Amino acid sequence: MSAAELTKLSADERHKLVSVPIDGKGLKTLLEAGMLWLKTNQQIVNSLNVFPVPDGDTGTNMVLTMQAAFDEIENSGIDNVGQLSHAIARGALMGARGNSGVILSQIWRGFARALDDHPTMDVEYLSKALNEAKETAYKGVVRPVEGTILTVIKDIATQAEVSAKRTPSFTEVLADIVEAGEASVERTPDLLPILKQAGVVDSGGKGLLCIFEGMWRFINGEPLDKPLTEVMPLSEMDLEDALETIEPGQDYEVVIDFTPKATFNLEDYYEELSKIGTSIQVGEGEGIYRMHIHVPQDNRYQPIDHTMTRGTIKKVMMENLVAQMEEKNHSKNPRLKLTKVQPGETAIVAVSPGPGLSRIFASLGVAAIVQGGQTMNPSIKELLASFENLPTEKIVILPNNKNIIMAAKEAASMTVKNVAVIPTISVPQGLSAMFRLIPDADFEENVASMNDAIHDVETGEITKATRSVEVDDVQVEKGQVIALHNGKLVSSTQTIDEACEALLVAANTSDYERVTLFYGEDIELPHVNQLADKIRSIYPDHEIEVHDGGQPHYQLIIAIE
Amino acid sequence: MSETENIHNELGSIQIQKDAIGSIARQSTLQSYGVVGLAPKNLVENIRQLIKKDAKYGVDVAYAHDGLVIDLYIVVEYGTRIKTITSSIASSVKYNVEKTVGLPVRRINVHVRGLRISNMD
Repeated sequence: MSAAELTKLSADERHKLVSVPIDGKGLKTLLEAGMLWLKTNQQIVNSLNVFPVPDGDTGTNMVLTMQAAFDEIENSGIDNVGQLSHAIARGALMGARGNSGVILSQIWRGFARALDDHPTMDVEYLSKALNEAKETAYKGVVRPVEGTILTVIKDIATQAEVSAKRTPSFTEVLADIVEAGEASVERTPDLLPILKQAGVVDSGGKGLLCIFEGMWRFINGEPLDKPLTEVMPLSEMDLEDALETIEPGQDYEVVIDFTPKATFNLEDYYEELSKIGTSIQVGEGEGIYRMHIHVPQDNRYQPIDHTMTRGTIKKVMMENLVAQMEEKNHSKNPRLKLTKVQPGETAIVAVSPGPGLSRIFASLGVAAIVQGGQTMNPSIKELLASFENLPTEKIVILPNNKNIIMAAKEAASMTVKNVAVIPTISVPQGLSAMFRLIPDADFEENVASMNDAIHDVETGEITKATRSVEVDDVQVEKGQVIALHNGKLVSSTQTIDEACEALLVAANTSDYERVTLFYGEDIELPHVNQLADKIRSIYPDHEIEVHDGGQPHYQLIIAIE
Repeated sequence: MSETENIHNELGSIQIQKDAIGSIARQSTLQSYGVVGLAPKNLVENIRQLIKKDAKYGVDVAYAHDGLVIDLYIVVEYGTRIKTITSSIASSVKYNVEKTVGLPVRRINVHVRGLRISNMD
């Protein structure tokens, strides 16, 4: 069932599922609701990951663990609560990712152990199971650290025990549990100084709470697919967009980086800011918040004064938008407009050697661009960072250079996200793959179709030889112009025009329809236009296009398709 | 191989004993999830441990030319994913040692010496 289907169940159906004693079907539905809510809040949990230990993102890890647990039981049809929870525990352990994932799997393991082989579960058993879950989780570590997911499961178990004595209603006990869990999560910064320093609550604890909260929301018929607050990673904040629409009363742009106090509440903060100005965005990362606002001239110091009461300001940037807008209108180098992706959509990362090519990739729907190409290969770290910064799990990367494919593959293997490397060895191949992208299509379909696209295009490159050499039976003198066809040296001549003609012949251009020239930074536009005219006269039936690629080293990159 | 590592700056030098680094590594290991204890790395250490409690027990620190090499000998809880646990131990030990000592950690080898079965399902 999807989130929508779950919430469509009528109140009667929902209450029947969770009326005590709960059977396997009830537990399965609750587990699914918990998982969906956790998934919805995944980015929020991820953004709490302040501990700079690179064990992946807590939210993502917990979702993957829960997903594995759910996959194990989805079609099992087990109706016995005990057996079902054993299956959940098994699935969670098999799919455990990251530290928080293992702890979560241990929580399920304890839960299952207490239920043993019981066909159904009442509140007393729920309390026992949660208690055993806590025991098992604590046993996993010699010196348990408080202020983590362990504290939260402990507080939840304690509350369950108290509530189970008070009422036999599962719904009421669950409501108490969620309340206790919330209080416990709020308390984590008091127990763990590092959280307080960073001004966040514990991410694992928050993730666990999301699971119980999801169950509770399901019972109350509340939606499971809309997070309460949207959290944007810093990198996602599009300040450029905000710039383009200046309306009266938006004279100044104020951006403030700050560390919030422990009592900081994002929603309240939003509301307070909305009284001061417009175009408000608050992003979060590494324990630092970045606030962006547009204010009229008279109000320009108010956001600073206000933020000072909510946390410690690290940095303030203030810009006169009116002046900036005028400047921008004169600027020749407009900023890239990258495609924004939502969680769940497919994002494309392209490696681009020059600003012009970056713009072309951006216009085709690329979500992130990594600068790099011949002699300036991006590091695995840069590629990895580009994956991590995208808010989606499904990513396709176009390396666009033979030497970057390996790095891209390596980076893809290091992330928990689902990254497909399309082995494009040149920019034309990358562009050709981009043309195949169907934003609404299935991830696998897109990947398959983009892989096919590589063979749609012939690549030509024109550059100057850096040394004298003989390759592929062609004698090259240093400084001569050389033409490469699909990476293979085909000609060495004195002028770019000659090299280009030789290349077009080698690529059997007459069999194709279109020639696109991407000119680099070492060649003048008039020269390229002359060259294009010359090519038009040789191939009158072909479409010849010229684009500014801006790439270094290569005077021309040519796509023949 | 020396017992101390020197850091030089314009004011003088700082010496850090291997034992100090060992106890940081040990502390951080014991706080990691899934670890139920450290294990002797060899027979000699096993016997020594019987006579005198030792902060380095189960931890071995060495200096390579470009940073620290730390070996950890651990016992983990049965039923946990060893791969995940060991990698999280390695990253948290690396983080804590680098943060407190300021020396780069080049390698962390985690040796799983046993499993503790606390409660069979």
